[in-house]
Amino acid sequence: MSQQSIRVENLVKNFGEGDSRVDVIDGASFSVDKGELIALIAPSGAGKTTLLMMIGCVQEPTSGQIWLGDEKVYDNKWLSKDTRTIRREKIGFIFQAHYLIPFLNVIDNITLLPQANGQTKEEAEKFAMELLEYLDIADKAHAMSSQLSGGQNQRVAIARALANKPKIILADEPTAALDTERSVSVVQMLKKIAIEQDVAIIMVTHDNAMLPLCDRILKIEDKKVVSSKVMKDTSMI
Amino acid sequence: MINLAQKDVSHSLGKFLVTAMGVGMLLGIVLIMIGVYRGMVVDAEILIGDINADLWVVQENTMGPFAESSRVHEDLKDSISVIDGVKYSEAITFQNIQLPKGTMPVRVMAVGYDPFGNINPINPNRLIKGSKLTKDHYQIVVSKETGFKMHDEIVLARDRYEVVGITEKTVSSGGDLLVYISLKDAQKIQFLYSNSRVRNDRERGITGNDTTMVNAIIATLKSGYNTDDVATNIKEWKHKSVYTKQEQEDILTKNLIERASKQIGLFTAILILVSTIIIALIIYTMTLEKMKEISIMKLIGIPNSIIIKMIVQETLLLGVLAFISGNIFSHLIYEKFPKRVVLEIPDAWMLFIVVIIASILSSFIGVKKVISADPAAAIGG
Ligand SMILES: Nc1ncnc2c1ncn2[C@@H]1O[C@H](COP(=O)(O)OP(=O)(O)OP(=O)(O)O)[C@@H](O)[C@H]1O
Ligand SMILES: [Mg+2]
Repeated sequence: MSQQSIRVENLVKNFGEGDSRVDVIDGASFSVDKGELIALIAPSGAGKTTLLMMIGCVQEPTSGQIWLGDEKVYDNKWLSKDTRTIRREKIGFIFQAHYLIPFLNVIDNITLLPQANGQTKEEAEKFAMELLEYLDIADKAHAMSSQLSGGQNQRVAIARALANKPKIILADEPTAALDTERSVSVVQMLKKIAIEQDVAIIMVTHDNAMLPLCDRILKIEDKKVVSSKVMKDTSMI
Repeated sequence: MINLAQKDVSHSLGKFLVTAMGVGMLLGIVLIMIGVYRGMVVDAEILIGDINADLWVVQENTMGPFAESSRVHEDLKDSISVIDGVKYSEAITFQNIQLPKGTMPVRVMAVGYDPFGNINPINPNRLIKGSKLTKDHYQIVVSKETGFKMHDEIVLARDRYEVVGITEKTVSSGGDLLVYISLKDAQKIQFLYSNSRVRNDRERGITGNDTTMVNAIIATLKSGYNTDDVATNIKEWKHKSVYTKQEQEDILTKNLIERASKQIGLFTAILILVSTIIIALIIYTMTLEKMKEISIMKLIGIPNSIIIKMIVQETLLLGVLAFISGNIFSHLIYEKFPKRVVLEIPDAWMLFIVVIIASILSSFIGVKKVISADPAAAIGG
């Protein structure tokens, strides 16, 4: 068992062909360990979402290799035809917007995926309630998403991402819609989850104030990914 | 497993119900159309059934008296009555007349028969008030739906007729309400009504429009005689066309009903096609409205089967609800139609099967959309 949870080798992604071809990622190699909370930063349009979606088996890379846990999932092509099962079993997604299903209440939104994965309603709901307690919104379990505030919805979205006990969480600007105070608490929560549940988390952020809370920074530079240490700014903690 | 269809429908219940009711009204009209056809079949056989004669003797080489006009001499009834096997024979007339009633005259078919004859064309089960004709003149039995009451006076061809009996649900094969008058009155009315035509005919050299003509001779048989044998006998000796009750019914069904059934059948088929297209459009837009959620579900890893189940269940639910409200709708309104509408359960089940098939076909459109949805599109990039 390696400590690595995500490993990417020589990943390339370009859109289009010929004159209209855009190279977004060109030979990215990096890895993320279990329990690590990583900040992914780069200017807008640099390819953060694209990189995340490739790791998340949503968008197909042009070439390269990807390992998730001990399983190699991409080697110049998907190694499994059913990338959706990989997503369902291994990955939790969080986005800038909560993207909750509007016709399901909070608890149904959270338990949909585990139930699709074969869990009974009871066990899925039991764990969902634990998550909601943990995220401090257990009282909203039966509310609809439209009745919650932005921060509450985002916490439900986090609970949904955790509901299947994934070993990888990919978060694309999860705090962009929140104020600083809420953002800090969400990121602290992610950090706690990473440590307590041995989860590798990559979080895209534009908010430098979040960086000190992370373990490491990955930056897209010249279409490649470079890793750097976090400058701990004591004033933030 | 969470039932997504149920959650989605109950989340927008009002909209879903209104949609189902809208489709239901269309289906209700389909049921009414089929009912109108069934009603025509029933109506077509009422008169022949009520008269209940074994044989119909009509003008040679015609399919009279309903499908084609037929004229035979009244005294033919006497020569028929002596043919071997014939029990009774009577003359009968049919003519469309207008009963004066306020500003809107009522169009009816008048059946002329001999009140003292042996064959009574009025079905006693349909006679709800009064009696059949008891005199040779100036009495009339009317259908309740004409709106006349017992002892009302009706002026026909300058004579006053008294309503002596009321029947219900008596109509001709063409759907006209029936009235009954004596044969003598019927011949008189026919003569007077067509005075100008008689003059016209005479000028052209056509004669024989005298009052001793009737439209058909009806006969009943003694027991033990074969209807076809007696019919053949009459054909040979009297040079007339002869039909059994069954043949007369078949002529009506073929000539009158068949064309109507094509008309109504085509109408029904188009309505069903329109309903199918509308169901398909509704499912398509319902799926389009959920595209974002469908993409998200695909992105986080929900299998297609669960999403497809939602679409198919919602479509079937829509179809079933539309079918139910269509039935309610048709039962609420069918009595308001002026002609007979007969709603039959087997027809409703047939429509149910058609609706279910249409729903399943429609759901394919939604399913195709689900399968082709791009999970990456969920996050707008
Ligand atoms: N489907 C696509 N077809 C063509 N080009 C694309 C497609 N998706 C992304 N791109 C391009 O790839 C580049 C990276 O896009 P991406 O969304 O990954 O950027 P990002 O770093 O997430 O930006 P932001 O911070 O604004 O979210 C952009 O230049 C974008 O135009
Ligand atoms: Mg992005």
